[in-house]
Amino acid sequence: MFKLPRKTLINLVFVLCAVLLASNFLSCFKNPAQKIFKPQFSFLGLVKREISGIIFYHRNMIQAEKLQNDIDSLRLRLFDLRETTQENIRFKNLLNFKQKSPLQLVAARVIGRSLDSWSSSVIIDKGRYNGIRSGMAVISPQGLVGSIIECLDNTSKVLLINDPNQGISSIVQRSRQEGLVSGTLGSNLIMRYLPDDAQIKVGDIIITSELSQVYPKGLLVGRVVNTGREFSGLNRYALVRPIVDLASIEEVLVIIP
Amino acid sequence: MKRLFFLFVIIILVTLGLVWPHFLNFFYCKPDLLLIFTVALVFYTDFKTALIFAILSGLAKDIFLPGALAVNTICFSVLSYTVYCLGRQISIEENYVRLAVVLAVSLLSNFVLGLRSVALGNILPPGIFFRNLIIVSVYTTALAPLIFKLTKRISATA
Repeated sequence: MFKLPRKTLINLVFVLCAVLLASNFLSCFKNPAQKIFKPQFSFLGLVKREISGIIFYHRNMIQAEKLQNDIDSLRLRLFDLRETTQENIRFKNLLNFKQKSPLQLVAARVIGRSLDSWSSSVIIDKGRYNGIRSGMAVISPQGLVGSIIECLDNTSKVLLINDPNQGISSIVQRSRQEGLVSGTLGSNLIMRYLPDDAQIKVGDIIITSELSQVYPKGLLVGRVVNTGREFSGLNRYALVRPIVDLASIEEVLVIIP
Repeated sequence: MKRLFFLFVIIILVTLGLVWPHFLNFFYCKPDLLLIFTVALVFYTDFKTALIFAILSGLAKDIFLPGALAVNTICFSVLSYTVYCLGRQISIEENYVRLAVVLAVSLLSNFVLGLRSVALGNILPPGIFFRNLIIVSVYTTALAPLIFKLTKRISATA
């Protein structure tokens, strides 16, 4: 049916044997051949790439633009997600604190800050409709933030503890030494009216005292960073670093008495 | 129309002041954008308009600040009148002269605000008093050209 001439068949067998033999030794030739031809291959690859770059320039340009747009939108989404994650962490902390605290609290968000540098206040997004009234204490899970000074229907103004108008009756947690903490518009608060023999040292924790009519007793105010003698020489003072970062506070809790 | 734009600028500047990011503060100090606008109005519009908007700017500032006394309303209107009087005495056409006027007005305004705070019985360390006085004034002056440009463009519209 299908017949090959004898000579062709022998030739085919020889070729097959030669191919099989060559394939056995192929690895011996592969390495040196690749080494020899590598620069030429690289160069040819480069040329090929450049030529295809020129030929498909328009397509590549559109593709690059599209990818850049995708990168931009993804970057924006990533930024949003980071912001949401951070917000979630803060809200979780607030909720935990609110659930654990025996005080009746209203959570509020900071929507505005003081317009000038001579006062330190923030505006929050809760007001009279949420049960907030002037004189209520404002805290954060870390410690004391300030007090409500003005209350409108939907917003309230909070005077922060670093405002010079603020006066907080406080005690040193360790020695129960009393003093008056007020703001200086700087990064530290000042605790004044300390007697000459006051038991106070750097690192002491300052909390609100029971004498205060605005703030509940035992709220964390700050930590002593320095002590000194007042100009009159009669009293001593202490510089207190607030526990709460007042410059970047975003959510607060208002204590409803 | 022009006055409506000025009103809109006041709203924008107040909003900007309220949400001013803390990382743009220098040593806890932020610029007084409304004060620059008040002074710029004296330079680029008639006195009547400048005075009306100086009072409005002062009121807008006082509304969002703690304290019952409208010290900024008084201060802004007085300073607006002072700059107007100064403009009649000396030439304030050059840009650097205008910046010097803003610096002087800002120093004066901050000095008044600082003195008021001290007079109310607040204890301000001298370092913080001078820090606020100088840095706020310099920062305000540094941003003045931007507000000047905006005011000039609006006042050029019919």
